Formats: sequence, C-alpha cells, structure tokens
Amino acid sequence: MFNGLHAVLYRELSIYRTRALKQMLSSSLSPLLFLIAFGWGFGRDVTVGGLSYISFLIPGLITMNSLNQSFAISAEINISRFYFHTFDEYLIAPVSYASIAIGEAMFGVFRGLLAAIIIFVYAFIFHVTLSFNPIFFVAILLHTFIFSFLAVTTSMVVKDHSGQALVNNFAITPMIFLCGTFYPIDKLPYAFKLLVYVFPLTYSTKVIRASLTGGEVSFIYVGLMVFYCIMFFLTSLWALRSVEA
Amino acid sequence: MNDNNDILRVDGLKKTFLKDKAAVDGVSFAFSRGEFVGLLGPNGAGKTTTIKMLTGLIRPSSGAIYYFGSDFQKESQKTKALIGVVPQQNNLDRDLTAYENLYLHAILYGIPKAARKARIDELLDFSGLTDYRNRQVKSFSGGTMRRLVILRALLHEPKILFLDEPTVGLDPQIRRVIWDFIVKINRMKNTTILLTTHYIEEAERLCKRVLIINDGLIIVDGDPETLKDGIGRFVLEVHKDDGIEEEFFDNRSDALAALEKSTYPCKVRGVTLEDVFLRLTGRRINV
Ligand SMILES: Nc1ncnc2c1ncn2[C@@H]1O[C@H](COP(=O)(O)OP(=O)(O)O)[C@@H](O)[C@H]1O
Ligand SMILES: [Mg+2]
Repeated sequence: MFNGLHAVLYRELSIYRTRALKQMLSSSLSPLLFLIAFGWGFGRDVTVGGLSYISFLIPGLITMNSLNQSFAISAEINISRFYFHTFDEYLIAPVSYASIAIGEAMFGVFRGLLAAIIIFVYAFIFHVTLSFNPIFFVAILLHTFIFSFLAVTTSMVVKDHSGQALVNNFAITPMIFLCGTFYPIDKLPYAFKLLVYVFPLTYSTKVIRASLTGGEVSFIYVGLMVFYCIMFFLTSLWALRSVEA
Repeated sequence: MNDNNDILRVDGLKKTFLKDKAAVDGVSFAFSRGEFVGLLGPNGAGKTTTIKMLTGLIRPSSGAIYYFGSDFQKESQKTKALIGVVPQQNNLDRDLTAYENLYLHAILYGIPKAARKARIDELLDFSGLTDYRNRQVKSFSGGTMRRLVILRALLHEPKILFLDEPTVGLDPQIRRVIWDFIVKINRMKNTTILLTTHYIEEAERLCKRVLIINDGLIIVDGDPETLKDGIGRFVLEVHKDDGIEEEFFDNRSDALAALEKSTYPCKVRGVTLEDVFLRLTGRRINV
C-alpha cells in the first residue's frame, strides 16, 4: 500500500538532497524582489485594509512562493516523463496510482513549506510582525496540497514540455497576479471578480492572510480549500490512470 | 479458455494510435515457463507498442492479456510484480547511484527492508557491477547502464522478463557481454524471456522461438531452424544490375549448380531469418 508513496519520496528526496542549495536560492530571489519593489518602494505609510502594505504583502508572498515551489514538481515530473522516462518505473510497478499521486504531492508540500519558511525569514529581516492563528498551519498544508495535486494532474495531462509551459502561463501566472496576493481583490471589476472566485488561490490567500494578520478566518473558505484539495486529488488519480507512456 | 500452464497468453491484441492505421493489429501468442522468445521485426513494426501493452504502459485498443490465466486489465497491480521490464531507452535516474536506483526499485516492488541491501549486492555481484555500486549513473558507459537496467528488472525475481532491443546502439563486444548475461538469466533462473530486436543475429543466436512481426502483424511463429528449413537452407545471391535477387535451395549442391549456370556475379550462403522475412514480405528487416 505505502510502497509507491515511500518509493516516490525516496527518489525525490534523494535527488533533492543534491540540489537543495540551488533550489533554495532560486526560490529566495523573486519574493525578495517583490519585497524591495513593493514593500520598500511603496513605503510603510501605504496601508491596505487597515494593514501596512508590507504586512499585507508578506502573507501574499507566502502563498505565491509556496504555490510556485509546490507547482514546480510538475516541471520535474515532465522531465522524468518525457526525457529520462524514469516515471515509467512507477507506472509499471505493482503500486497504486493513489500512492504515486500522494507521494509526489507530499514532495510538493515539502517544497512549498520550505518556500514559506523563506518568507518568514524575510518578514523577520524586514521587521514585519505577524500573529499566528493555528489555522495557518492547516491552511498552508491545504494550500500546498492543492497546488501539488494540480501539478500532478497537469503533468500527466500535457503531451510535452510546451504544454506544461502553456499551463504555467495561462493558469498559474494569472492566478498569482489576480487572486489577491499583491492587492485586495475587492477593487477588481465585477467580471474579474467572478473569474477570481473560481481560482483556488483566492481562498488560500484570504485564509492565510487572515490567519497571519489577526483577521477573521472564514470557515467557508477553509471548506472550499478542502473541496479543491479533494477535487485535485481525484483529478490526479484520473490523470495517472489514463496516462500512457 | 485460459490454459494455466501458459505464463502469458495474448488474444487479438490491438493498438490504434491514429484512427486509420493500427500500430499493433491483433496479435495472439502464448508462452510457457522458461521459454526464450524473440520478437523480430523492422523499425516501426510494433514491437515496442506490444511490450508496452504487455507491461501496462499503454492500454490496448482491443484484445486481452492473461498472466497465469488471470486478466491483466483487471488485476494489473498484483500481476505487475511478476513482470520485469527493460525498456528500449535506459530509464535510470542519472543523478542517483547504481545502488540508489536499485534501492528505489526494491521499495517499489515491496522487497522487505531487511532483504533489500543483500539482494542488491548479490545481483551486483551476479552481473559484475559491484565496482559501480556507489557511482552516479550519469558517469556510466552505455553498456554499463544497459546491464544495470537489466539487473534492476531482475531485482524482484520476475517470472517473465521483457527486453526491448537490449543491445541497440552498443559496441559488438559489449553486445556479446549482454547476450551472455541474458542467456545466463534464462538458464540459471529459468526466467521466461521476450526479447525484441531488429538484429537478425541476435534473434538467431539467442532465441529458441521467434515471432516475426511486420506492420503490426505476427507473420510467422516458430524456432529459427525450422523457419529457415521452410524456405530452403541455402541461398544463391544473384547480383544483378538493379539489385540482388535471392534464390533458395534445399542443399548446397543444387545452389552451386545454379551458380554455374548464372551469367551474373553470384554468391552461395546459408539462409538467415532475414531471408525468411524477405520471402514473406518482399522487403528486408534492416534497410
Ligand atoms: N505514442 C504514439 N503515438 C502515435 N504513433 C505511435 C506511438 N508510438 C508508436 N507509434 C507508431 O506505431 C508504430 C509502431 O511503433 P513501435 O511499436 O515503436 O515499433 P518498433 O518498436 O517495432 O520499432 C510506428 O508506426 C510508430 O510510429
Ligand atoms: Mg521499438
């Protein structure tokens, strides 16, 4: 039952060990640029929804950076599917598709959590004080699981590397810019708001921000996160079942 | 319907990628324990597609696969433990060591933790790869990678081993090393082997039974010697201006007599499976 999960984690972590430093460095850079550009650039006097902009921004960067890192497993699964064919080893093995999907997703969660920790370090450096609602830990797990299962799904569905790039450009990047990571979504025009409420990142961002800035956590949004998590788990199973090598 | 003495039985297996033309167009065969079978055919004949269907990487468009009498489509997860696969392309993790690659496989196939290390070291020894144990795969030569892939496929002691073009792209002397290794597996472990190849010599030297595949169809099934006897043991090659023509004879003296009479440059030689293929299809396996 757990062989697939164990094997996937063994492989991913064995490889990650050799690249950990490089990956940590590359996931540190872009949030730092956002902090410098928007945090310092706008200055501490700008307030958004009763928060200094930088306090507003930090939780957004946590969701953005962890999403990026969790979703990045899709590119790696692609390489192992299309270039080295190492993914075929899982597909021919006597293990369940669920155990492969969960194994890959757990690795995505692991990377997402490391990416979140980087932002906490920045928050400390930039003297941004955060408050911790315990819901944060549930939310960050749900958030990283959602985008890891989405990554497993898309990496199985795409037919080549450029298909994956298309998903990144048309789904992930718009999500990051529209779902309230950098500004409150209430200012968006109505049509965009409708769109934004389809994207799971909107709920992750709301819950994570509220849980770190002393806001009120909406349990409906947490429920929606659970819904997205289950939905993408199921799509990843379906995608694994129908993939052909 | 299912004979349980057959380790593998395939009925009307078919795969259509594009609407109009089938890559594998309804093949049927059965293997018994310990058989060493070759699937011989030109590039694009459908060898890899067949192997992928038999190992669960591709779903057949129609037809059925039974391992030990049980339906592979229905019981694939359990059945996969009985199968070893050496894919056409080496699919090792290049950033991992030989040991780590094997360890990953051991986990996937549920080899108990206590047995993993000993099993891996025993096989590294069996295949003469002990010196490579802790080196990253990306530093290996093609032949060494190939041996490691074969070794990995044996780790869980499969009942049947699929080898898809095991020696393609390797030097002749490395090819011989691999051949010896595969024969040793078949003899010592009584593992049933299905090997695909487009090398005539490989099929003739290794396989006790050959299925010749062309355009997705198995056109002949038998042991190489009988197949060759079927078309005559000797060939007269007539080197005409527009190409070589072959004439077949049951014995050398008839062939030599025909050679005397011919006005073109000629050569007499023994028949090969290539001639069998040519006789049946009008084309050559290796162009
Ligand atoms: N994934 C695929 N999509 C479409 N056509 C394919 C695919 N895989 C193989 N084919 C086609 O199926 C035929 C058989 O291919 P293959 O099984 O790889 O042959 P072989 O291994 O004998 O060289 C070829 O014509 C090939 O182009
Ligand atoms: Mg092939």
